[in-house]
Amino acid sequence: MAVASLPHGAPDAHHGGVDQLYAETRELRLQGFLLFLVSDVVLFSSFIFAYLYMRSSGQGWPPPGIGRLDVAFAALNSVVLFGSGATMHYALENWKHGHFNRYALLMVATIILGAAFLGGQGYEYTNLIYNEHVTWAGSGVFGASFFTLTGMHGFHVFVGVWYLTILLLQSVQGIYTKDKYFGLTAGTLYWHFVDVIWVVLFSIFYLI
Amino acid sequence: MINFPMLERVFAVVGGIIVGGVAAHALRVDWKTPGLDNAIFKLMLALLALGGVIAMLAGLNVLGNFGKA
Amino acid sequence: MATTTEHEHEHSGGIADHIHPEPQGFIRRYVFSIDHKIIGIQYIITGFVFLMLSGLLAEVIRTQLLHPTGGFVSNDTYNEVYSVHGSAMVWLVIIPLVTGGFGNFVMPLQIGARDVAFPWLNMLSFWMFPLAGLMLFSSFLMGAPVAGWTEYPPMSLQAGPGTSMWCAAIFLIGVSSTLTGINFLVTILRMRAPGMTFTRMPLFVWAQLATAPLSMVATTALAAALAALFMERQFGVPFYDPTKGGSPLLWQHMFWFYSHPAVYIMVLPAFGVISEVLPTFSRKPIFGYKLIAFSSVAIALAGFMVWAHHMFTSGLAPYLQLPFMILTFTIAIPTGVKIFSWVATLWGGKIHFTSAMLFAVGFLALFTLGGITGIFLAAVPFDLHVHGTYFVVAHFHYVLVGGSLMGLFAGTYYWFPKMSGRMMNETLGKLHFWLFFIGFNGTFLPQHWLGILGMPRRVPVYDPQFTSWNQFSSYSSYLMTFGILLFFINLLMSIRTGKKAGANPWGARTLEWQIPSPPHYYNFKHIPTVYGLPYDFSYPLPYSGLDQELTDAPGPASTLAGAH
Repeated sequence: MAVASLPHGAPDAHHGGVDQLYAETRELRLQGFLLFLVSDVVLFSSFIFAYLYMRSSGQGWPPPGIGRLDVAFAALNSVVLFGSGATMHYALENWKHGHFNRYALLMVATIILGAAFLGGQGYEYTNLIYNEHVTWAGSGVFGASFFTLTGMHGFHVFVGVWYLTILLLQSVQGIYTKDKYFGLTAGTLYWHFVDVIWVVLFSIFYLI
Repeated sequence: MINFPMLERVFAVVGGIIVGGVAAHALRVDWKTPGLDNAIFKLMLALLALGGVIAMLAGLNVLGNFGKA
Repeated sequence: MATTTEHEHEHSGGIADHIHPEPQGFIRRYVFSIDHKIIGIQYIITGFVFLMLSGLLAEVIRTQLLHPTGGFVSNDTYNEVYSVHGSAMVWLVIIPLVTGGFGNFVMPLQIGARDVAFPWLNMLSFWMFPLAGLMLFSSFLMGAPVAGWTEYPPMSLQAGPGTSMWCAAIFLIGVSSTLTGINFLVTILRMRAPGMTFTRMPLFVWAQLATAPLSMVATTALAAALAALFMERQFGVPFYDPTKGGSPLLWQHMFWFYSHPAVYIMVLPAFGVISEVLPTFSRKPIFGYKLIAFSSVAIALAGFMVWAHHMFTSGLAPYLQLPFMILTFTIAIPTGVKIFSWVATLWGGKIHFTSAMLFAVGFLALFTLGGITGIFLAAVPFDLHVHGTYFVVAHFHYVLVGGSLMGLFAGTYYWFPKMSGRMMNETLGKLHFWLFFIGFNGTFLPQHWLGILGMPRRVPVYDPQFTSWNQFSSYSSYLMTFGILLFFINLLMSIRTGKKAGANPWGARTLEWQIPSPPHYYNFKHIPTVYGLPYDFSYPLPYSGLDQELTDAPGPASTLAGAH
């Protein structure tokens, strides 16, 4: 009658027989990882609060003297990132069903799309800084909030691209099996989290 | 000359429809899976679908901050 | 998977049977240990070291204030001293001691676990702590922060490099705190012994359960505020500077959104200690177990909704001040429920006034007083007059020193035998209590009327009309410090020459007292099954499976092959 009993529906804990230790530690790791993501959400939320607070000063947005952001390009870049989320989802699905080659292809696609998003962000930053003369420190609260938040997000994407690359290499080495692949689950959760943050950031910087 | 701005919009709209649709489809397929991690995945897929829709609408100029209010 | 004895016991093959080999060598056992008990003791030692350092800074403050014209230190140094004093006490003393120190040592034992959920992360969290402390105190070498522990801009934007060091140091200890919060939350949610439902958990565990989400969520909000301040200072990115479009009020909102829950991080575990000490030394069940448990959660939640009561004089609109005032009043309700429950626990009990009990009862008196002045401060009209005066200083010292620190002293006297296998000296303990109690009240009681009479806080010199009470306060503080010195002497002496304590010198009923003192590295030979609340003194202990714990039977063999 263990309190930490077999968790329901943990797909990588049931298949092919019961491994009690793995199941219990997987629950711990899952909850720990989810709580880490919650704290990361709080981090972004704090800066988003700061941004909205600064915007509420009533002088119109963008503030006078600063050009507007390129919504179309950002929409395209967003689609690239969301696409990588879809490929990541199917990569994990294929792993669960044992289709390693399709999994690997989709992982590579995810990584490339993620890197492409970063490239797009780089292009946007370059355009803003050199053509529009909007900088992090020199453009009042607009530059401060935009570059800080998208920069934090970009950093998370950067870390994510590395993380997924390492996961791919580990899975090639055989560290994960069809039944035990929590690392891949965690990577997928992280990548989706990065996507969802971008949905919010895209909406609050480009659309409102 | 390729009209880059128009190309961007086309890709944004088409891509948004595709990604949003794929995410929604994946959500429907996986709707009944139990467990905490699957619940989180479903939530994230739903938000991804929303993201696709938003990107599409942005590409169509329906949504977007176009300067001084 | 390993069956080590013939004892009838269900081997689940899960975490409860997953035992590492005993660590070998001094470094692995005592320096880079992943054992929650060792880590807890490391936190406690480090926390007490910072208590001494920060207490020294406090005495610099009180010595400066012996004379209305000051002169003990320069005015700028004085600003540095109270800024580091406040920062160190909050972030390097109280929070690490109550969560990382006592939380780490006691909580896993009380839930019948072998360790926390993420032991390696626990060790990492600890080692960030002395590093952060070193960073904070090193700021004295480069122009320490001068704007108080609250570091409001624009002053914090203009001050010397030490303020950036302060940002980095507090950010680091914040990461440590966040990781500990995650660790404890997962541990309590998933690693309780079989049969230990939420309503059979000891109240100290409830306190840690309520505190962990605060550590996790609130501290991250502080990290954002600190990062923004750092970026503005170092790279000129405008967040708080009004000349560049920023707002000093933004800092206040972000800072206090963390710092109000932070005071609950500091006090909820102390409440937990009181809830353990009072029933044991009254030989009575705790009164209102569920009331106390749920009110802890209520306080933790409500604590997120009241931050702007620190900002009543910052120019907030009245329609904003009012809800914060009312919400702050309502936090008094769950807190009052606890105080009444604790008093009802004492009522009709057979009271044993050990040192731990003295501090627990003293806590009840002093924290209540501090809570009442908190209600005064919650009232906007009153706060407008006393904000930024010594009344506020008196209030928070009553709740933090008369509350949290006394709770920590009680916890130390209570659990020292479990940690070391030896008793502390009771005579020194009682002397510590009385010197501390009298000294503390002498120091801080007059500060209430000093504040109402108009003496501002954070001033190195003051109007001569306040002289006599300042001197009274300072001399009393020396008495209080002497009491604390006795405490440290007691600690150091007792480690070497204290009377040997058995497993359960107090006759207490929670799980940590059913195993040897100090516990084996694996905690329990067999994870017990729990059948009820620990506090029902009239019933036999509600556990099964503990009969081998105090015998010479061998402990469980390691289930891991090879050295780790």
